[in-house]
Formats: sequence, C-alpha cells, structure tokens
Amino acid sequence: MAEPAPQASVPSRHATTPSCGTAGSGSGSSDPARPGLSQQQRASQKKAQVRAFPRAKKLEKLGVFSACKAGDSCKCNGWKNPHSLTGTRLELQQQAADLSEQCRSCCHPLADHVSHLENVSEEEINRLLGMVVDVENLFMSVHKEEDTDTKQVYFYLFKLLRKCILQMTRPVVEGSLGSPPFERPNIEQGVMNFVQYKFSHLPPKERQTMVELSKMFLLCLNYWKLETPSQFRQRSQKDDGTTYKVDYTRWLCYCHVPQCNDSLPRYETTQVFGRGFLKSIFTVTRRQLLEKFRVEKDKLLPEKRTLILTHFPKFLSMLEEEIYGENSPIWDVDFTMPASEGGQIGHQTVISPAAGSNTPSFPKNVGGGSSLGPSSMDSVVPEPSPGDKRKLPENLEDAKRIRVMGDIPMELVNEVMMTITDPAAMLGPETSLLSANAARDETARLEERRGIIEFHVIGNSLSQKSNKKILMWLVGLQNVFSHQLPRMPKEYITRLVFDPKHKTLALIKDGRVIGGICFRMFPTQGFTEIVFCAVTSNEQVKGYGTHLMNHLKEYHIKHGILYFLTYADEYAIGYFKKQGFSKDIKVPKSRYVGYIKDYEGATLMECELNPRIPYTELSHIIKKQKEIIKKLIERKQSQIRKVYPGLTCFKEGVRQIPVESIPGIKETGWKPSGKEKGKELKDPELLYHILKNILAQIKVSSKYIHTHTHTKHTFTHPDAWPFMEPVKKSEAPDYYEIIRFPIDLKTMTERLKNRYYVTKKLFIADLQRIITNCREYNPPDSEYCKCANTLEKFFYFKLKESGLIDK
Amino acid sequence: MALVSADSQIAEYLTELHQLIKQTQEERSRSEHNLLNIQKTHERMQTENKTSPYYRTKLRGLYTTAKADAEAECSILRHALQKIADIKKLLEERRIAAKMAGVYSDSDPPRKTMRRGVLMTLLQQSAMTLPLWIGKPGDSPPPLCGAIPASSDYVAKPGDKVAARVKAMDGDEQWILAEVVSYNHSTNKYEVDDIDEEGKERHTLSRRRIIPLPQWKANPETDPEALFSKDHLVLALYPQTTCFYRALIHTPPQRPQDDYSVLFEDTSYADGYSPPLNVAQRYVVACKENKKK
Repeated sequence: MAEPAPQASVPSRHATTPSCGTAGSGSGSSDPARPGLSQQQRASQKKAQVRAFPRAKKLEKLGVFSACKAGDSCKCNGWKNPHSLTGTRLELQQQAADLSEQCRSCCHPLADHVSHLENVSEEEINRLLGMVVDVENLFMSVHKEEDTDTKQVYFYLFKLLRKCILQMTRPVVEGSLGSPPFERPNIEQGVMNFVQYKFSHLPPKERQTMVELSKMFLLCLNYWKLETPSQFRQRSQKDDGTTYKVDYTRWLCYCHVPQCNDSLPRYETTQVFGRGFLKSIFTVTRRQLLEKFRVEKDKLLPEKRTLILTHFPKFLSMLEEEIYGENSPIWDVDFTMPASEGGQIGHQTVISPAAGSNTPSFPKNVGGGSSLGPSSMDSVVPEPSPGDKRKLPENLEDAKRIRVMGDIPMELVNEVMMTITDPAAMLGPETSLLSANAARDETARLEERRGIIEFHVIGNSLSQKSNKKILMWLVGLQNVFSHQLPRMPKEYITRLVFDPKHKTLALIKDGRVIGGICFRMFPTQGFTEIVFCAVTSNEQVKGYGTHLMNHLKEYHIKHGILYFLTYADEYAIGYFKKQGFSKDIKVPKSRYVGYIKDYEGATLMECELNPRIPYTELSHIIKKQKEIIKKLIERKQSQIRKVYPGLTCFKEGVRQIPVESIPGIKETGWKPSGKEKGKELKDPELLYHILKNILAQIKVSSKYIHTHTHTKHTFTHPDAWPFMEPVKKSEAPDYYEIIRFPIDLKTMTERLKNRYYVTKKLFIADLQRIITNCREYNPPDSEYCKCANTLEKFFYFKLKESGLIDK
Repeated sequence: MALVSADSQIAEYLTELHQLIKQTQEERSRSEHNLLNIQKTHERMQTENKTSPYYRTKLRGLYTTAKADAEAECSILRHALQKIADIKKLLEERRIAAKMAGVYSDSDPPRKTMRRGVLMTLLQQSAMTLPLWIGKPGDSPPPLCGAIPASSDYVAKPGDKVAARVKAMDGDEQWILAEVVSYNHSTNKYEVDDIDEEGKERHTLSRRRIIPLPQWKANPETDPEALFSKDHLVLALYPQTTCFYRALIHTPPQRPQDDYSVLFEDTSYADGYSPPLNVAQRYVVACKENKKK
C-alpha cells in the first residue's frame, strides 16, 4: 500500500496528472482552476510573506483575531484598525500599527488584544499566523461560494479556525462527522485488491500497466473536486442524498479544504473513504475523468496517451463492476487472492497475447522507478518513491516456473517468441476481415479491446436503489431474450431477469444491449444455473456468444464456482457443446435437484471450469502456442534432412494416432514414455494378419446378427446392414451433420489394406467409433443400437481372444 | 496447370494495373499546366474587363485541350477499373473450378464445412467490394445496377449469386442466397447451390424462382433513380443470415459506400416491422409478390 505522500512531493506528483482537480463539476469559484499559481501555492506564499513580517506587524495581524483582555468586561473579540475599514486589507499597510493604537470597536489599545502573546515562541506565533492566513482565505471562500451546503461548511471551518486562534489551540472538527478513517477497507486498498484480483495472472509488464493505472486513478481521486450534495440529489433523484451530504462534508473538512489550508489536518480521500463513498461518486467522476483526458489528450505525453486512451476506459469499466457488483471480494477487509489464482502455475506456462509490442511503456515519473527498459538512461532514474510497491525481480518468477524434463531450453523459446512477436514480421495492420481459420471469438475479442463492445454483470436489487442505466439494460435484456426465445413466456423471462437472485452478463454495443446470459449462482451447492442465453438475431455468428460464455467462465472462476448446469433445448445443444458443455453430468444429483429449474424436453448439460485457464484469451493463447510449435518444428526441420510425405489419416477423420506410428519420428530422437512399452506387437506383418482375421470374422458375424435380428424385427431397409458401408445421405440426410467422423467396416477394410493400422490402438479406435457413432445418431432403443450392442460384445470378445486386449 | 497459369495471369494484370495507376498520375500532372493556363486567362480577362475575340479563341483552344486531357485520364482510370474487374473474374473462375473439382457425391462424405462466422464475413466482404457503376456522361445505369432488374431474357452465369426461392424442409417457401451452377436452356431451369454449405443442397429451380443480385452498386450522388426509394417493398438479406425476407426501405443509401436501412416484416414486433437494420446494396432486390402473406 502506498503511504500518504509527503506534502512537499505533492505538487510535483500532481504535475504528472495535469488534469486532476481542475475538472471538478464544482460551483466553487474558490477552486484552483485559475491558471498560474494554485490556491495552495498562493496560500503558502502568503504564509511565508506574513511570517517574514517584523514581530510588531505580526502582533497587529494576530490582534485582529484576539479578544481584548482589558478587564473582564470587554467583550470585543478582535482588534479593529481605526484607519482601515476592513481587517482583511491589513497587510497592504506598510507600517505596523503601534501597540497603543485604539481598537475601532472597543477603544482599548492593541496591546490589550495581544497581551497573551508576549511570551509566546516565534514558532507558535507563526503557527497562529498560518491560521490567520487560512481564516482570511476561508473568509473569501465563504463569500464567493454559491452552493449553500459548501458555504455552510466553509463558514463552520472559518469559525473553527478563528476560535483556535483566539484560544491558541489546534483545530479539531467536532460534531457528528466522526473521525477518519470513515470506512474500511479504504478506496486505496480496494483498488489495489482489484488490481491483484483481476490482473495478477497477466505477465509482469502488463500487470505493471494496471498498477500504474490504479495509481493514476487514486491520485486523481485525491485531487478531484466532487459534486455538491444538491447536484448529487438532482442526478440521483431517488436518493435523498443524506448520506452523501455527510460524506461530502467530511471530504471538505478532512480532504479538500486542508489541501490549501494546512492549519487543518489533511487526509487523502482514498485513505479515509471506502466503497460506499466511491459508489456515490464513481459514475460522475469516471465520466468527468474520461472527458477530461479526451479533451486534453494532446497535452499528454505520447506514451501516456496510449496508456490512458486505450487501457483506462476498460480499467474503469472493470472497476465499476467491482464497485457496484454485489459479491465483489475486493472490499473484504481481509482480502487475499483465491488460492486457485494466487498459486497459479498456468500464467507462467501460457503466453498472454498482449505481451510484447502493444504494451505501452511508461514515463519514468509515473513508473515509479520500476526500470524495465534496457536503456542506459534507466540507471539514473531516482529511487522508487516511498510507497511504490516494487515488482518481483524477474529471476524470482523464473524460479517459480516448473520445468519439465527434456523441455525445450528457455533461450530457444524466447528466441522463437521474439520472431513471432516481431512487428516487422507482421503482415500489416489488423483488418476487419479475418482469415478463414481465425478462432470463433477472435472478432469479438478485438471489438472488446477496441471498446466497440462491453461486458457487464448486472442484476436487480430490492435493497439498494438500482442505477437507471442498469435498469435500462435489464429491460433491454428482457427484450432480447423474449425476441430470441419465443417459446419462453415473456412474463417468465421478465420475472427471472428482474429477480434479485438472478444476474445477467450483458453484452453492450453502442450503449444498447445486444445479448446476454442470465444465470443464478448457487454458491452453497457449488454450481451456477445458466437460465437464458441469447444474442440478438442481426448480431449473431460474430463470436459474441462464445465470448460471452468465456467472460462468464472467468467471472465464475473469480467467485469460486466451477460448474455450470443448464437445461438446453434442441437448438441450444450445439452452442453449449462448442462452449465445452457435455451431457455427462459430474455434479451429484443431490446437489442440484430442487435448485435448478427443470424444463420438459430439454437436455441437462454441464460444463466444468478449470481455474487455471484464462478463457477469454484461450483461443489466442493456443494460436500463439501453435505458432511457437510450428517455428520450433521449422528449426528442427532445417537440422534434419529427410523428408516424409506427411500424414493423411487426420484428413480421413482419425482423431488420434500413437506418436510412434508417425514415420521418421524415432529418428528425431523421440522416445515413448516408459509405461506403454512391451505391449505392442513388434512384427507389423503379424499384427496385420491378426487384424485382418478379426475384421473378416466381424463382417461374417455381422451378417449373422443381422439376419438373426431380422427374424424378430423388421428394418426399414432390409438390405442395408448398418455398419457394412458408409451411411448414404439419401437415407439419412442429416447424418453427416451430426456425425463428424463416420466410419464403417468397408472403410476399415480399405484402411487395413493400405496398411493404415500400424498399431492395434488405431484399429480398436475405429471399431469403437462404429459403435459410438451409431449410438449418437440413433435413439437408444432403436434396432440399430441393439445391433451395435451385439456387435460391441462380439468384437471385444474377438479382441480378447486374439490377445490384443487383456481379458 | 490451369491454376498456375491463372496465377501468372493475375500477377501480370497486377503489374499492368500498377502501370495504369502511375500513368494516371502522369496524365494528371500533364494536364495541370493547361488548367492553370485557363485560370490565368480568366483572371486576365477579368482585370481587363473585356472579352476580346483573341481571348475567345484562346479559351476555346484551351478548353478543347482540357477536355481531351480529362477524357484521356478518364479512359486510363476506366482501363484500370477494367483490370480490377478482370482480376476479380479470374479469381472467381478459379474458385468455381476448384469447387467443381472438389464436388462431392453421395458415397463420398463431405469435407469439413466453413465456419458460419467466416461465411458471413465473406458475404460482407463481397458486398463491400461490389464495384460501383460509373457511367459516361449521358449513360443511364444498366440492368443489374442497384435496383434496376435484369432484362427478362437474362440468364445468370455459373458462379453468379442469386436469391432463390426454395421449398424448405417444413414445406415453407423461402428465399435463400444461392450460387448458380448451371442453366438448362431446354428446360429453362437453373441448378443452384445453397450458399450456406451447411445446407449441402442443390436445387433445380425454374427461372421465375431466381432473382439475380445486382452486379454494380448504384451511386446515390449520380444515379439516385437506380436505387429503391423509401417505403419500397424489397427482399433483403437479413443481417448475419443467408435468407432474404420481405422488408420496406427505411432510408436509401446517401453515399456510394452506404447501406440501405430497411424494416423487415416481423410479426414478433408490435407494429409488424423490425427496428431499422442495415443491408448492403448487393443484397437488396425487388420483391415481386406485392400481396402480404
């Protein structure tokens, strides 16, 4: 946690964020918005000036604020110069007033007003004088201020300081305001937790970016002028603003006024306030901040501009979610990273896409001394400012990395990484048209990065007043769901979308809802129910659905729920399958029955999440990994001369083959892992004959099974034995849409002849696929499936008989 | 072998195109001198405040040269456009040839299909790169430019995209985006492929079930009459699908690259129409049946 910045360093740090503090919505004309000297600087200048006065003049000045001591009877509380009309112009007089000069109001000499100061140290005198200057400034502020609430506070502080001068005490703000800190954890802790919580999986450089942004945000908040309670009431009509008024007053007394009024003890906004306060100011402040940066973008340093314009809006949106979200963990007093993420190994072994060329570098004054750059300039960078959290040395991170035996040397991987992230090797600017093999969610990810689309988890609440925008989005979601899911009664959709126990991940484009996933979390049961999921029809097939689900997965990993359950209707099954859902339910029935909404005719599907996977970046990471492997292969190839024709079996629909069966693989030095040795038949000829034998027997017996079943039941096509030949499209028009890897006994015979079955594994896999394809396409009680059952028993018997598998 | 020669042909065309673009620039700088001359002459005439026969003859000569220059530049530009069209044609031919070669039969299961999102991107790209009709002065836009229909005896070529009215599985009639495979002159029937390869359907359809899609965009600035006007009933490709639905024109395009904004007939909305959606000129055709279903 950063410590409060020492007073002296504030102006210079302030200068790094030129826009803070001046963009206030405030009505206060006393605001330091004027060019030239800031109010703070003017105040301290004036204080120095006053403190340099001769003692007589100092006394005169203090006399103005000191009660008359002439007997007990005099009630005069300050010496008034007989020659001047207003006490505030005193310093304009060159000559100090004589101690004998009489007060304009009580006619006692000045000496009677300052008698108590006779034996007071110069230091204390100077402290009092500081207060005098501050009182004078406050007096001006009270006069100029137009907002009643603010004026009242200024006036209170004015009186308080006067009393302190009178009584020679130190100012303490009294009353019902309480004393700082007002909330725990404070904003600063919350924001730091947020960075850790959201970005700790990023590579160091990017994580640093986020740390910089959070610091900038906190700094801005500390110098930001808040809206007045009346402005607040106008904006949020439902909230009467009582709480805000208290906070505003606290802020004026403890944070804002003390900034240029150092007689009052000063606290940083972000250290004494917490989530509640941030909730009331965030929306407006965020808008003003972004607007300010937008307007002043030309004044920013170029490298900072990229940082602010590209990352800051996203950063704020994500933060907003945590501020207004119901279950955000970042505000827990004892926040620690969830174990699954803190001990993450995943992020060291995966490569994040943004690492490299597009991460902006930082100006040194913001970077706080974390010298990442290799340039010699960095050696003269001053020590990190006190409070800056230093980042882990690179080698420490290396130490955590788990090494695999026989792994490729790190230097080689780094070298390859350099070539694939080299901007010069890139093909040009990103285009809106993607190649045919781009990942499904590539477009959506790009659009999110460019700010075209946004994702927000929102929900209705009965206890808190919902923000108007959130309510509008909920209505938008209700509309999208009811249009896209016409079979769901609209009332039902409305009820669930607005139910406070349900939340919805909303997809926003141009400020409008274009899709979303409504879900209900059951933390006690360890799963979440996906209730509705839709994207508006004219925005479909753009990868939004996939990206939505990936965001939802990341959201749940953060909240420690690792199972999704949903009842999918017939049209949705395909989508859910692509998102990693399966009909195979691992969550015990007892945990969800009675919790999840049961739909007739729908299929229950489940998705298990892996907390080590950054889902929204997954396809990108895999793409990068593929590129790396490709490069490594190319390197290896340049070392080994012999060229093999390459494999064709994958094109024929085989999913997996044993590594050792790839021609030439052994020559590269590849060795099979110890376990599976010895089982494989060494002689390929022998294997061929065994397999040929089995296949022939299966074919014969198939006919037998066929006729056998045929005597009892009738097939629609008596001559079409289901597994003998490829399924004809004319007979089953949708067969090839459902079955991705068709296989039949005829094809297997051809493959055998072509010497494709170099291992028994390949052969068994194809046989098994005949059975699974059949079961996938046909209903379980169909004749086809009955045949499959019989066939399965038969061929496993044959395999055992021939010693290919264990008995 | 044909593919290799197509490649070298394309490379050759690209070189020519490059040359043509350079020539345009040369032509432009060459005519600049003359244009400057015209301007100067006008200025001089203004200061002298009279139009002498000398100036008249001089100006006539200058303007004749300027016109010839402009025409020369124009012809090079048209030449360049033609080259682009030629390249596109070659690419298209190659695509069709590849498609024919890879044609599948019943016993040969189909290969993995293109991802839908990719198909949608390709369709958008095709709409974006549809050439703009640029006529010579006085030319009126030809058939298949913007809203102008094909002539009654027009026969779409293989590879052309059309809107085709097919019977769907459930027996409903539907207009789909399809590609012409062949036309049988004796039966007057088209053979078309559903553009959506997931459909894997080949349809044999009579002429009246086919509407060829526009082959040029109409320029709203010069040929507004070749665009559908507001409230015109059309068939438009619903965004992110491969089906045409009835729609009313909400606003015609304002600039050459703009899309139509249309209101689709949609009973799920209270007023019977969807909110305005954008559809490219390429995918908006006249709707023949005027009666509402």
